[in-house]
Amino acid sequence: MQLAVNIVVLAAIYALIACGYVLVYRVSRVLNLAHGELMMLGAYLLVMTAASFSSHWLIAIAAAVGLSLLVGVLVYLFLMRKMTGEMVLAAVLTTVALGILLRGLMVLIWSAQQQYPAQRLEITNFAIALPGGARISLCAAMLVAATALVYGALFAFLRFGRWGLRMRAAGQSPLLAAQRGINLHAVYALAWGLSTLTGALAGILIALDSGLDQTMAIIGLKAFPAALVGGLDSLVGALAGSLIVATAEVLLIHYVDPLLSEVVPFLVLIAMLVVRPWGLFGTREELDRV
Amino acid sequence: MSEIPGPLLAVDKLEVVYQRAITAVQGISLAVPQGRIVGILGTNGAGKTTLLRAISGFHGIDDARVTEGGIRFKGRRIENSEPHRISRAGIALVPERDKAFPNLTVAENLAVPAGPRESTAERRRREERVAQFFPRLADLRHRIAGLLSGGERQMLAIASALVCKPELLLVDELSLGLAPVAVDDLMARLVEIKRELGITVMLVEQSTAVALAVADYSYVLENGRIVLDGDSARLRDHPDIQEFYLGQASGGARRSYRDVKQYRRSRRWYG
Amino acid sequence: MSRRPHASGYFRIGYAQDLALLQSRTERGALAALLAVLALFPFLASAFLLDLANQVLLASIGALALMLLTGYAGQVSLGHAGLMAAGAFTVGILFKELQTPFWLTLPAAALVGALLGVIFGLPSLRLRGLYLAVSTLALHFLVVYLGGEYETKRGFSTGIVIDPPTIGSFAMTSGRTWYFVLGGAAAATLLLCLNLLRAGTGRAWAAIRANETVAEALGIGVAAHKLLAFVISSALAALAGALFAYYRGFVSVEAFSLFLSIQYVAMIIIGGMGSLLGAILGATFVTLFPYGIEAALRALPGAQRYAGALFAVNYAAFGAVMILFLVLEPLGLVGIWRRVQTYFLMWPFKHRPMAGRSR
Repeated sequence: MQLAVNIVVLAAIYALIACGYVLVYRVSRVLNLAHGELMMLGAYLLVMTAASFSSHWLIAIAAAVGLSLLVGVLVYLFLMRKMTGEMVLAAVLTTVALGILLRGLMVLIWSAQQQYPAQRLEITNFAIALPGGARISLCAAMLVAATALVYGALFAFLRFGRWGLRMRAAGQSPLLAAQRGINLHAVYALAWGLSTLTGALAGILIALDSGLDQTMAIIGLKAFPAALVGGLDSLVGALAGSLIVATAEVLLIHYVDPLLSEVVPFLVLIAMLVVRPWGLFGTREELDRV
Repeated sequence: MSEIPGPLLAVDKLEVVYQRAITAVQGISLAVPQGRIVGILGTNGAGKTTLLRAISGFHGIDDARVTEGGIRFKGRRIENSEPHRISRAGIALVPERDKAFPNLTVAENLAVPAGPRESTAERRRREERVAQFFPRLADLRHRIAGLLSGGERQMLAIASALVCKPELLLVDELSLGLAPVAVDDLMARLVEIKRELGITVMLVEQSTAVALAVADYSYVLENGRIVLDGDSARLRDHPDIQEFYLGQASGGARRSYRDVKQYRRSRRWYG
Repeated sequence: MSRRPHASGYFRIGYAQDLALLQSRTERGALAALLAVLALFPFLASAFLLDLANQVLLASIGALALMLLTGYAGQVSLGHAGLMAAGAFTVGILFKELQTPFWLTLPAAALVGALLGVIFGLPSLRLRGLYLAVSTLALHFLVVYLGGEYETKRGFSTGIVIDPPTIGSFAMTSGRTWYFVLGGAAAATLLLCLNLLRAGTGRAWAAIRANETVAEALGIGVAAHKLLAFVISSALAALAGALFAYYRGFVSVEAFSLFLSIQYVAMIIIGGMGSLLGAILGATFVTLFPYGIEAALRALPGAQRYAGALFAVNYAAFGAVMILFLVLEPLGLVGIWRRVQTYFLMWPFKHRPMAGRSR
């Protein structure tokens, strides 16, 4: 039973991170490999706001999340916008470079020490008992709930919201969208902002649950196979992919070898690339758009 | 609608260059008076689509620029502006490819265009007005656009352009890939739209006969230059148009290579 | 008709002349002078500078390998560090388990690299661009994981120590010896690359990079050439990794992180894609970069306090420089060099070439 809980929690983590990859890719065809670092930045922003709002945890979290949204928008406006005319690969390498830059900056500003924002915000991460003798920590449970909420909101937004519709349109045919009066830069900036927001939410909740240190960016990178396995432009796929990768990882760690934890997502990735490169729910033609 | 002095759209000695190396359009000057249908004729590669793209705005990936000359819409220069700004200014393009968003439904396709600022009610009214021109679309409201037939997709393309409340409608190759009956039907609707909504139309066509039937005034493009212009009657009577664009040989006799000297008449254009 | 190239054109009268590596007396002279300078260098430089030069030479081998694969054949690879790790670990494992001498381990490393190259290259038959890069990334993690597994399972959790290679009683430990060895290796790699590129293989790769479908239609075996690119590139990378293992005397999985892969990609981008000179320039730049940053930190007043976090400063500066090159000068250092060259060649004319994007 505990295994099942672990799977659900890990899947929720991957899913919350993966939707960030999907949002940016679906709308602007760019793979944001700095997502892990941006996620970490969100957690560090919480450390910062926790210092100012140490007795109001909700405000601290909201402020950190809001700042992350701003960061995402700014990253697009000042950096990625310049790469919109270039080859996709150049844009992806730019995100890689951005990730490296952020990594360095974060250590310089906040040092590489492990941080515990939960302590600073006076949140006690107690364990909740579940049927079957399993336990789940409060923050982990919050994370699962947050993932469900975020996905619900995103589905509704993309399906019914005016800007959600514009994001879908811009993802399908940017030229036609521009010709129909849609400001592509605004749409892309929104996608980046939402992506960073959801990533930061994941980073914040993980930091509250188990502390914040430099290894968080690796979790961000591990979530990427989850997004790709489901299909880089499908939110439903991100959910499915996260579940698959999390299941494989938890089971293999438990029954085979704990050291496998870092490599299992990539094994699943390789398997999927061999069998069905566009993922479970992705659109097939993506492959030929190099 | 107030009459503005001068043409609605004026193109002045336009030059468009792709990838800094290929000149697609050279020295084109034309004027589109308000309330008229202006035709742009020519064969493949004549520069017609480039001209429309230059007017409606180049996207980043095209790597094309207007390098000389200008385009004035309602007196304001719009060359090298971004496509969405030109759309908001009142020019809508019905493209040749990418006519609709393939994975959105017809209803969503009509909801997506960002028109001028207006209330939801006004917007709803306009969508319905547009839908009246294409009753077929009402039945297809929930169909995914990628699954529509060619004619239906063309109707959707025109409708979504109209939702932007344009003053100038640019139509690229309406007749391409459609049966003649469907083409006639669409053309009739286009004339009706022009009349009832009071918009100006610029029609790019490879099918000269179709264009001359509806256009008030037309320009003929070859290799990126305008070689002839005039109203439909004049063009229809012009022997070169008849020979090269309408397929009517002078004299009606069977053609043979002995008549090669007739092709040298094309040099008349540049004389 | 002049056979010496000069500003008004090149006049070659035969294929042999066209393919020749050195086209003119001036070029031959320049090369001789360069070789003389390079040969004198180790006798004039300090041990520190010698170490720098050795690192640059090592990096050049890897950079040339990646340039062949990504810059010429157009196959993106983010797994370069994994291949170098494979070479290094081959040396380490053979040394520790079987005490194999270097003249066997080096070819073995190259062979392992070649085999891995086939595996890394298989996805390229189905995938392109982004998805190919991702597959190489995944394979990199796999290789690194296997290396880590070996380390922990065999108890070398801090890494494997390797003895320097010995020929008879002569052990290669001095920087100067390594300089000539690595210099020779780098020169051999460069020559190999030049020869591959001016032969049919190079032309096939250029065709594949430009348009695969057309290349296939022209009768070029696209699959075979892609795999060949991967195999050669991986073998060279593994060799570089093996040499690195011997040079450092130490093999550990931490040295072959994703960051190293990115550094090699940065080398070919900063240097300038599609140019062997670019690979070498990029390798030099990226290798010397951290030392430059360190020197800058020491020189700038007030920056002393960051000296403790040198690693982070390096990261940040490297990321920033990479972004600058990607956004502002995608043609890299070679692009800048060519612009300078064109300026002087064309002077006093200012004519800018029409063809090709200079952004």
